[in-house]
Amino acid sequence: MSGAIVKKGNTIMLSGRFTVGDLKEITSVLEAGSGKRMIIDLSHCDSIDTCVAARIWSTVEGSREAGLPMELQGLNPDTQAIFARFKTIDEKPLKPIPKPTLLYNFEDIGDKVLATWDTVYGLAQFTVNSFKALFSGKFRGSITAYYMEQSGVMAIPIVVTLNWLMGVVLGYQAGYQMSQFGGELFMPALLAYSICWEIAPMMTAVLVAGRSGSAFAAEIGTMKVRQELDALEVMGFNLFGYIVTPKMIALFLVMPLLITAANFAGMAGGLAAGGIFLKMPAVVYIAEVKKALIPFDLYWGIVKGLFYSTIISVTGSYMGMRVRGGPASVGRATTSAVVVSIFLVILVDALLSLLFIHIRPGLTL
Amino acid sequence: MSLVFTGIQKSYRDPSGKSFNVLGPMDLRVDTGEFLCLLGPTGCGKTTLLRILSGLEEPDSGNISLSSGRLGYVFQQGALFPWMTVEANVMFPLKATGVLESECRTRAAEILDLVGLHEFRKSFPHELSGGMQQRTALARGLVTEPDLLLLDEPFASLDTRTGINLQEMLRSICNRSSATVIFVTHNIEEAVFLADRIVVMGHRPGRIVRDELLDIKWPRNRLSSSFTEVLLSFRQTFEELVDPSVTLSS
Repeated sequence: MSGAIVKKGNTIMLSGRFTVGDLKEITSVLEAGSGKRMIIDLSHCDSIDTCVAARIWSTVEGSREAGLPMELQGLNPDTQAIFARFKTIDEKPLKPIPKPTLLYNFEDIGDKVLATWDTVYGLAQFTVNSFKALFSGKFRGSITAYYMEQSGVMAIPIVVTLNWLMGVVLGYQAGYQMSQFGGELFMPALLAYSICWEIAPMMTAVLVAGRSGSAFAAEIGTMKVRQELDALEVMGFNLFGYIVTPKMIALFLVMPLLITAANFAGMAGGLAAGGIFLKMPAVVYIAEVKKALIPFDLYWGIVKGLFYSTIISVTGSYMGMRVRGGPASVGRATTSAVVVSIFLVILVDALLSLLFIHIRPGLTL
Repeated sequence: MSLVFTGIQKSYRDPSGKSFNVLGPMDLRVDTGEFLCLLGPTGCGKTTLLRILSGLEEPDSGNISLSSGRLGYVFQQGALFPWMTVEANVMFPLKATGVLESECRTRAAEILDLVGLHEFRKSFPHELSGGMQQRTALARGLVTEPDLLLLDEPFASLDTRTGINLQEMLRSICNRSSATVIFVTHNIEEAVFLADRIVVMGHRPGRIVRDELLDIKWPRNRLSSSFTEVLLSFRQTFEELVDPSVTLSS
């Protein structure tokens, strides 16, 4: 230590040079003086480093808060400059945390409404741009085929299995209830209607939204983070034509096929349930289904498929394109893509059902 | 390609909805064939300016006038397409402009030779080192023989030695072409080594604080006194920008 600490009465005098190595000794002297009105005299102090200054400064500040302010005396220009820095840091006002007032709550609601409106408006605009690119752009066969394989072919096992299971469950539950009244024979018709009108298209849409909608958002979001989208744009590519359109076309082509497969899988599930639980011969089941269904019911699934594929491909791509910042926002975009897609699928499904009961031949209210 | 922009200004909104000005208003003129380095601390709006020049972002106000021509852009992290080989990546911008496949291949081969990656042309980006990836990115930026080449801190994530090698390579390629180059960096030595002219930008908002033509002779020697002198002078400008209270003794 090249400095000396002398404590005389209520004055602590530092003389010489002090560095971080002297911190322990200085601390013990300062602590011994706490609780008293002390004067720290630096008039014989040639230099101190930032660590020592910080220690002294915090003691002085602490004593002031405790109501027994210590005093710093005899600062030379060098030490003055060091303490002046702490002063500017201390004087910087902390950002006040807003109190949750009634007005704040209204503002919060307003912010959320505006944010939702932004998303809705952005999504609508994005959909219009996607369709423009779809009708004006170049068809990219190989990329479309890639997405058809990813979203269509590879989804077949899960779509077929789950719809078959849904068919079994529905067939068994409906049949069990109906058998109470001796109406088992109506089970095939009920099952065929619910599968073709509602369950198969909806289940398929939810599965594709979970598998492909999220994948689209993650893929595009990652490209955005890695500046690959910027690179494409600088090279003069239309991002909609290159990124969104192939996904849209791929889903347009595979969704109706998946839904059709789901229809048959669901009805096959009903057949199994009928055979196992209700001892219904397959011939009877098939005959009843044939009697109930008309081709319109199967086409309806295809129509729904076109709507759902638009929703899933556009929402997935939109959420991916909205990614800002780092990889964490890719995760958020993926979640949003799935949640918003499923929400919109159910919303559109409800609207289509209203239309359906008016246009299906043979259905009277 | 000469480039003039006047009154360029850009502001962003932070999450709380408050708008803050990141750039300008600023004016700049870049002459044809000039190698300009935009030097400035992080967050001073250099990249924003480059994105505005390339059309990736719209300025809030101001005019950009540039004669028509081809544009090349090299990104900080390369932004190579991971599903394409090195060769396909380099050929991609040519294909986009409708150049025939055979010609694309010849020109890609030439430029890959120039950056020393000919034998890696069939590799995928993830199989390459960081330096090689940046060389591929450079090749992709140069393959269209751009009239305006924009580079956004392309060597920032590389180790010093690799960075120096690539700087030498970039400068020698640019000496042979007539392209106007704007190179964004926060590395003072890199700027002093590469540039014909250095524009130092300050932050909040982004503005020009120093604009100077360098008269260090080619080839530049990093250890020469003239180089060190210029380097120190820019370092001083830079330090003063970051902390106005700092003054360096000469």
